[in-house]
Amino acid sequence: MPNLMQELPKKIVATLNLPDIDPDEIDPDEQLVGGRLGIDSIDVLEMVMLIEKDYGVIIDSKELGAKVFASLRTLAAHIEGQAGELPN
Amino acid sequence: MSSAPVRIAGMGLVCAAGSSPETVFTALTAGECAIAPPTRFHPQVSPHLPVGEVPLAPPADGDDLPPTHWLARQAATQAMAGTDAPPDAIVLGITTGGMALTEDLLQKKIADPAAYARHAVGSVAQDLLDQTGCKGSVLTVSTACSSGAVALFLAAQLIRRGICRRVLAGGADSLCRLTYYGFKSLQLIDDEGARPLCADRRGMSVAEGAGLLLLDDTPPGPDDVALLGGGLSCDAFHAAKPHPEGEGAAAAIEAALADAGVSFSTIDYVNLHGTGTPDNDLAEARALRQIAAEEKLPPLSSIKGAVGHPLAAAGAMEAVIAAQTIKHQQLPPNTGCSDPDPELEIDLDAARRDGRIDRVLSNSFGFGGNNAALVIGRAPASPPACTAAGRPFSIRGYAALSGRGSTAATLAALTAEESVGGCADPAEIDNGLDPGLIRRLKRLPRMTLALTKACGCGPEGTPPEAIYFGTGWGALSETHDFLERLFKSEERFPSPMDFIGSVHNAAAGQLALWTGAKGDNLTTTCPYAAFEQALYSAQLLQKDGCGGPVLVLGADEAHPHLSPKLDPDVAAGAPLAEGGGALHLDPQAHPGSPSLRLLGLDYAAEGTDEEPLTRLERVVPTTSVTRRYGLVMVGLPASCRGAAETQLAAWRSATGYAGPLIDYRRQTGDFATASAMATVWAAALMDDPSQTSCPPGKGILILNLGTVMGAIAVTPPLEGRPRKGAA
Repeated sequence: MPNLMQELPKKIVATLNLPDIDPDEIDPDEQLVGGRLGIDSIDVLEMVMLIEKDYGVIIDSKELGAKVFASLRTLAAHIEGQAGELPN
Repeated sequence: MSSAPVRIAGMGLVCAAGSSPETVFTALTAGECAIAPPTRFHPQVSPHLPVGEVPLAPPADGDDLPPTHWLARQAATQAMAGTDAPPDAIVLGITTGGMALTEDLLQKKIADPAAYARHAVGSVAQDLLDQTGCKGSVLTVSTACSSGAVALFLAAQLIRRGICRRVLAGGADSLCRLTYYGFKSLQLIDDEGARPLCADRRGMSVAEGAGLLLLDDTPPGPDDVALLGGGLSCDAFHAAKPHPEGEGAAAAIEAALADAGVSFSTIDYVNLHGTGTPDNDLAEARALRQIAAEEKLPPLSSIKGAVGHPLAAAGAMEAVIAAQTIKHQQLPPNTGCSDPDPELEIDLDAARRDGRIDRVLSNSFGFGGNNAALVIGRAPASPPACTAAGRPFSIRGYAALSGRGSTAATLAALTAEESVGGCADPAEIDNGLDPGLIRRLKRLPRMTLALTKACGCGPEGTPPEAIYFGTGWGALSETHDFLERLFKSEERFPSPMDFIGSVHNAAAGQLALWTGAKGDNLTTTCPYAAFEQALYSAQLLQKDGCGGPVLVLGADEAHPHLSPKLDPDVAAGAPLAEGGGALHLDPQAHPGSPSLRLLGLDYAAEGTDEEPLTRLERVVPTTSVTRRYGLVMVGLPASCRGAAETQLAAWRSATGYAGPLIDYRRQTGDFATASAMATVWAAALMDDPSQTSCPPGKGILILNLGTVMGAIAVTPPLEGRPRKGAA
């Protein structure tokens, strides 16, 4: 499993087109959604698609999403816990 | 304050539950559910989501007609049955247009533009010209789920203002992968079928259908059902979610009640928007609760648990159903809900107030916070008089954007007789826009933000009272990117961001969010006259004597892959061009400011044999031309230049106009809303007469010819020296 904590912030910044954010400077425990990064509910849906596409992990409820997207660390942990085979 | 009731003379309805107003109403009142997995439409991803699919085979006449078009034709046939007189105008609300067919063509990599001839959202209304014999205006609004209701309200204004005697109006949409997967990507679909108002409701069911009403100017009698009033608003809250307290919804409902001249306590039934999404149903219930205050709510229900959500068709279909409830004195149940959500504080068994149904409120709340409400019922005994025709707008500010750059660069080049065609530099568009604001927006919404800012309508000042936006092709970048990703991922990974951005009214919704504008928010569309339609809508919806300044704009983006296929001008060899114009307009007269008015708009069925001069006379009276106008800017689109030039020659001969003439598309470029840029150019010239050969005291006419004819007049300020100034 590639280093999710390195990979995820880069993918998120790229997919969400976050301006002026250095992926390496996102704190692993900082609030992802609704925090200083400016990520909102539409971005969450886009991240859900990204996670499903790149890791085969499905997040299909608001409640689960709120827990999983709390921080980079919770997101990485959820993916590691859920991912079976990775799609190509 | 309230306005004249407008008689409903005919109705047509096609949806999952049936193909006439009677069969649908019978099915609804029997509590039948017509939501089921699709059969005509084949999603690649399983399990298939249940939808409201129309059980009709497409016509077998060999003509590749997209489903939206044939649904509209079916409903039009019904609405026009029993009458020989053609309508004077057709006003439709549409979101899908020919997309169901276009998706197949793009996936098969068909490059021939002829195959895409009916892609345009605006083409559905045009397609009805032949069948109905209509000679006159066509208006197409695309405001997502409120479109059909908005179309009916606009149509009512055409009749109330004495412009038309009969108008065919309503909405239509078909199932397609863009909307099926788009709403799915937003997690707004209930995979067990929509269950409006239910405690554990999970979302909507996408559906298709068409609802059309023939409205006319006969004073409604005691046996007639009429459109009594309508109201529009914009949440200016979120691109995809409603305001949680239903504030915008309440504003639209209150505006509709005021327009109808009735109080909420006289409403006998509310036909809810009721999509079945957790957010909509709650916001809608809160809005109604707020308006009812201490009173009990009347009976209410949503039909979307029975037929699904047919997007633009919804408001019009539900208007037909509202009329049926009055005709039959019966209410459709809230199909699909077994366990009402207590948080909504709604009593599904509410008794009728006095046993009669005479007046219905129908809600339609769209994506982008675009709200519409209609009041339908028996007309009052002594209805108020019809509204006046509306006044020209004063031009308070303007802005342009082109391949050359923003306003100053564009206007300087145009006046120097240079071309500004081509594609705009992204850095120029983005200049001065907050990166955080635009990060999710692609070309078209960035262009409209830039135009709005340059026009002086940004959030620093008072928000415009209303926004009217015309676009020929909408957000092509988002549409292309959504479909490309959908196909590449075998339909597994649609992009929520691109879906939200792809709807025609997304750009105008972003403007509302940014400026805080909560009034009317309309997007009109047509391959040639989208800007004219936006200006026309602004005139029709003028709040006589008491409205504030509004923003009217037109813009289009050129897309390297889609434009050559979809845009007939590009297909005819015109180089890619894009841009637009915005005007800040005030219905109050201002001495020193030039005025702007749409004079007329005319559409003709393909292969019409009507004389061009007859059509032109409806657009701008021949005898007035030489007296009033000292400069004519004429739009001759590449796709019909030959016909347009012939029309121009005939017009010059008939009017005797021998003054200066500018073939403006040679300079602005050929794009659907080039007339918006031409109008801004005209406003700038009127502001500074040293730049123009137009004699003082005379106006500038922007005359558009070809398939669609339109005329816009920019006239000099009322007193002496014009003021110099632009945004």
